[in-house]
Amino acid sequence: MYFAGVDIGSTMTKIVLTQRDHRVLSVIKGPTGPEHRQLANEVMKMALEKANLQLDEISYVVATGYGRLNVPFADRQITELTCHARGVSSLFTNVRTAIDIGGQDAKCMKINNGKMVDFVMNDKCAAGTGRFLEIIAATLGVKVEQLGDISLKSTKKLEISSFCTIFAQQEVVTRLSDEENLEDIIAGLHDALVSRVAGLARRLKIEPDVVLTGGVAKNAGIVKAMKENLGCELLIPEDPLLTGALGAAILAKEYFQKAMSKGETGPTKARRLEKAMFFR
Amino acid sequence: MINKSKGLSKAKEVYANRSHRVKELKAEGKKIIGYPCMYVPLEIITALDLISYRTYGDMAEPVTEADRALPTAFCPIMRSCLDCALKAKDDFLDGIVTTHSCDPQEKTARVWESYIDYSYFHFIDMPGTLRPEALEYYRGQIGDFKKSLESFAGKELSSDKVKAAIRLHNRQRALVRELYELTKPEPPLISGTEILQVVKALMSLPVAEGNELIEQVISEVKGRTDGPQKKPARLLLWSSTLDDIDIMQIFEAGANVVMDESCGGIRAYRADVNLTDDPLDGLTHYYATEITCARTFREAALGEVRKDYMADLESRFGHLKHIAKEWNTDGAIFLLVRYCDPFAFEMPSIKDYFDSFPIPSTYIEYDYTQGSLAPLRTRVEAFLETIS
Repeated sequence: MYFAGVDIGSTMTKIVLTQRDHRVLSVIKGPTGPEHRQLANEVMKMALEKANLQLDEISYVVATGYGRLNVPFADRQITELTCHARGVSSLFTNVRTAIDIGGQDAKCMKINNGKMVDFVMNDKCAAGTGRFLEIIAATLGVKVEQLGDISLKSTKKLEISSFCTIFAQQEVVTRLSDEENLEDIIAGLHDALVSRVAGLARRLKIEPDVVLTGGVAKNAGIVKAMKENLGCELLIPEDPLLTGALGAAILAKEYFQKAMSKGETGPTKARRLEKAMFFR
Repeated sequence: MINKSKGLSKAKEVYANRSHRVKELKAEGKKIIGYPCMYVPLEIITALDLISYRTYGDMAEPVTEADRALPTAFCPIMRSCLDCALKAKDDFLDGIVTTHSCDPQEKTARVWESYIDYSYFHFIDMPGTLRPEALEYYRGQIGDFKKSLESFAGKELSSDKVKAAIRLHNRQRALVRELYELTKPEPPLISGTEILQVVKALMSLPVAEGNELIEQVISEVKGRTDGPQKKPARLLLWSSTLDDIDIMQIFEAGANVVMDESCGGIRAYRADVNLTDDPLDGLTHYYATEITCARTFREAALGEVRKDYMADLESRFGHLKHIAKEWNTDGAIFLLVRYCDPFAFEMPSIKDYFDSFPIPSTYIEYDYTQGSLAPLRTRVEAFLETIS
């Protein structure tokens, strides 16, 4: 029995195909981009090919993320908050707080026995998200992937007072003209991003175990800054991008089993891999 | 034709074309007085045989004119309201009455009075607290408003006329409460969307016609077989004002909204005006204390030097406990408009209050634009996923 979790994020699309026992069979990650929002079917084809499966062998598909309404072959849409909570719980049994920093949003989830009980999402702008780092990297002329390692070389605490992407950029220019070191500036920017996200997370009571996910969790500098700010250990999955899709795949199995136990038969409409249609 | 339709379909029509009736009345020689806030004592307007008309923002209308008269970072609802006024969308109004309910209401008074050419403008000051001296002051303000509107209308108001208007408006309040009784069953007999349309229609029609409309709706809904479907959760909404069905429908996609404690829902109808000997006393007490907007500083006991947090919460939000339990709500969503300080500052207190029942709750911010609907949808869905 196979299940699929499709997480169409604002920046990256992730698909996880699992077997009944949660064994991950294939994983696809690709940039979402403006066309790809319509092309969940293309990414799904790639995932199926990789696992050597046909679409009709998938018993249940759950779509999540920003683009979850653009997955015509999904059996159900569930918000990324619930899916992340589920995915993270499957990897870390004692998780109580999950923080996800994605391309364009940041969220914090309170988890009790594997179920999300409260949440908070960034609600003003892209401060505290991957977008902040992308723009900063471009301003400094470095690759986003290099930011973490560079920041770890920092020896001086620099306060970047604004976590607003635009205003932080202005501060960076000032700092550079003051001849501050690149690694100190980047470390300061990491602190700014973390303070934004931690401020959000503190609206819920932060209780261990605390798990950090999302593309930004791959940045070692962010992880260090977050541990300092929260004053606790952080657990990070092997692939921090996948917890949403993984959670969606697990929920797909749960919804399928619930339906079976109620004696419901499979989907009445044949599932097809087709482009999402807008503005009907 | 609007004249021929009744009940829910009439409410829908009026909601979609709010100014139709007042334009008809204006053509017959009636004077129309606009008000942007439920704190304006409508009874005075009604008693002078003028027609009151609630001015609203329009979420679907891009704000293009407001920037020449107003700052950008303040209540987007009032900003939209002013933007519509600057575009002469409500040029049938003869006058406008605004009140010091909150900062934007006070500050936008300047725009109403100077940028737009109304025959009548009045600003009613309101105290921030409910202390005895404050209420005395407010009584004076209401008296001044009455005098100023009498002068515009060219006639004096007898105490009997005011009392008659109070009875008429109280009748409307009682009818709206009766309407909300119909959301108690499982599933509710009427949806939050339908009630929103009815309430917005009430604020667009003369009082007596509004009363007739609710009576039609109540009898129609009691006998209906096509009521809302049962959804996995019964929601209580709390906000400043909820005025657009696009927003309501986001909540009702996954839940039954059984109570809307906002100025687009039950807030202005929850209690009645006491018919005091001097009717202005009853009006003073009602408008100051019974409209449960976050703008008022309430306190459990005057003169206390050590505050009891729970008693404080009870004095501020006590009316919600009864509502939440009576309507058997599964969860509450506090809908905040960006830049709305009075309501934003009620967090986390109101959440603490609901935690004390306990009823799960969350707060979500939006900025009264079409673009904010998608993020709102995600957060509402996520909350419903936690309580279902």
